[in-house]
Amino acid sequence: MKPLVLTLRHEPQQRLDLSPLVPDRLIRRTAKEIEALDIGTTRIALKVGDMFKVRLGDANSIRFEGGSERFDQVGAKMLAGGAIHVEGDVGAQAGRAMAGGKLTIAGNAGPFAASALAGGEVEIGGDVGDFLGGPLAGEIPGMAGGRVIVRGNAGARAGDRLRRGVIIIEGDAGEDVGSRLIAGTMIVLGAIEGRPGYLMKRGTIALAQTPELGPTFVDCGAFHFGFARVYARSLAAESRGAARLLGQKLRRYAGDTAVYGKGEILTPA
Amino acid sequence: MTDASLDGRSIPREDAYAHAARILGAAHFPLVAGLGADVAGARAAILLAERLRGAFDHLASRDALADLDVLRSSSMFVTTPNEARLRSDFILLVGAGLSSYWPAMFDRLALHEPPRFGAQSRRRALWIGPKRGEAHIDGVDIDTIAAASHELPGVLAALRARVGGRPVALGDAATKKLDAHASAMKAAQFGVAVWAAENLDALTIEMLCGLVADLNAATRFTGVPIGARSGATGVVQASGWMTGFPPRTGFGRGYPEHDTWRFDARRLVDSNEADAALWISAYDGEPPPWRRADLPLVTLAAAGAKADGRGVFITVGCPGRDHDAVDFAQETSSLVLRKASAPSKLPSVADAIGAIGARFSEDVPC
Repeated sequence: MKPLVLTLRHEPQQRLDLSPLVPDRLIRRTAKEIEALDIGTTRIALKVGDMFKVRLGDANSIRFEGGSERFDQVGAKMLAGGAIHVEGDVGAQAGRAMAGGKLTIAGNAGPFAASALAGGEVEIGGDVGDFLGGPLAGEIPGMAGGRVIVRGNAGARAGDRLRRGVIIIEGDAGEDVGSRLIAGTMIVLGAIEGRPGYLMKRGTIALAQTPELGPTFVDCGAFHFGFARVYARSLAAESRGAARLLGQKLRRYAGDTAVYGKGEILTPA
Repeated sequence: MTDASLDGRSIPREDAYAHAARILGAAHFPLVAGLGADVAGARAAILLAERLRGAFDHLASRDALADLDVLRSSSMFVTTPNEARLRSDFILLVGAGLSSYWPAMFDRLALHEPPRFGAQSRRRALWIGPKRGEAHIDGVDIDTIAAASHELPGVLAALRARVGGRPVALGDAATKKLDAHASAMKAAQFGVAVWAAENLDALTIEMLCGLVADLNAATRFTGVPIGARSGATGVVQASGWMTGFPPRTGFGRGYPEHDTWRFDARRLVDSNEADAALWISAYDGEPPPWRRADLPLVTLAAAGAKADGRGVFITVGCPGRDHDAVDFAQETSSLVLRKASAPSKLPSVADAIGAIGARFSEDVPC
């Protein structure tokens, strides 16, 4: 069946909260009901119908024709079985607290993409802003599951407080990648800046380019990791670069010894 | 000199209030920024933002939120400067130029006197990353660890690792030195760390506060944060009791929403999302941080502020100098009433906002 299509009429004048437009909330709704949903964030009221042309289809699969840097919370809290595709850019908190399903964004995403993701898959074709997968200001837990792939570059503090799941950044990562990591896996294929893994307790950060590490990351030598090779094979379909990185001989740095020291940064040996 | 101007031409203050009301009342999403004000001014400003369904931000939010992020997402031990003065036998100073952020700091901490309670010994101090020649106070033994600002996070991390007895990737001599500092800190009976958020980022503050927490396993160690400038700490408290959130909060949907990215004043203006702004800087007349020049702007600033000749400019009194004011006092870590030191007829921020609010057209809700 064809997907439900929302075609952007014009660039929005205010930021939009698109969290109501997820499959489980649109299923069995008429076009009129969908057009009447509120998506404005200022005192100027704004309905779906003001911004989008709605073409009904299988609401389990939603397609946005056209995007904007002002699309916030696209796919937020999506449940398993749903799918959303955005043919364009999105704003902050794309895929926020998703429990399942698949979110694909052809363009760039703003800050806090995949924030507190609990399950499902997020794929971003362009670049993302700061705090990829991280908790919002004032929140304690970060991403707790699922898989995130960024084909472009990421901003600062990607993977902040990551607890479970995988984040793959095929481009460069901004400052302080994997800060406060608790567990889970981060893979960066491009260049990195700042202090990778600062305050990380456990978990794995694999970096294709050898960075300058702080004094609390201790060299443990180079090994062929058995598990990393098996794991690499499971990533090959989504990211060949990530699979290639994990399949080779890797040097392991244990850290951040300032906090716990059970985490590791892996770089090609 | 005149008290008010419109696009650089001086006008009567009453006309300025009316113009300001027109600018702010017509906006779809106005921004109340700067917020360099006493508690009464902050209250008036936040109520105005709520009434107009705009957003508010403080000019030193970056610094105030760096401390607050550690407090609310991790943990932080803090005490008052007076407690530090009376009890501390060890002071850990972090970052360069601390006394420039709080000029009366060393007077208040009185490090040259022995502590009144607890350990009856000369105080020891460790300063990580001081400026050249800065780490010298008569009557105090100050050790230093040289560190440029980009090296500070690594030094703090290594020190914390050695306090916990975990390995670091440093040479034997460097590790030995750190170990000596670590055992001095562990030997303290009441240690106090002092830092300024303007100097550090949230991750580095989290590392420092973690170090303090680790030391508390065996002794007492706590912190004295030097808060952000222009009344930020008092404004954060007022914002907290009024909305439940710190600054960078918006009322666009009629209820307070806190988002440190979305309601960042500079971003709101430069992205064209805010279509008018009220800029408040009553302490020192600091200019707005944004680049956009065509924004309809109302400025409430201290006398002597550089008005760049755009929009409505209204001179307001400096809290505690021109008028009595309640604001946050670093010396006591609490809100205090400051009597006007040189009373004048200039309106306070709260007076000016009250006068603007009284002139809104009828379609603005009250």
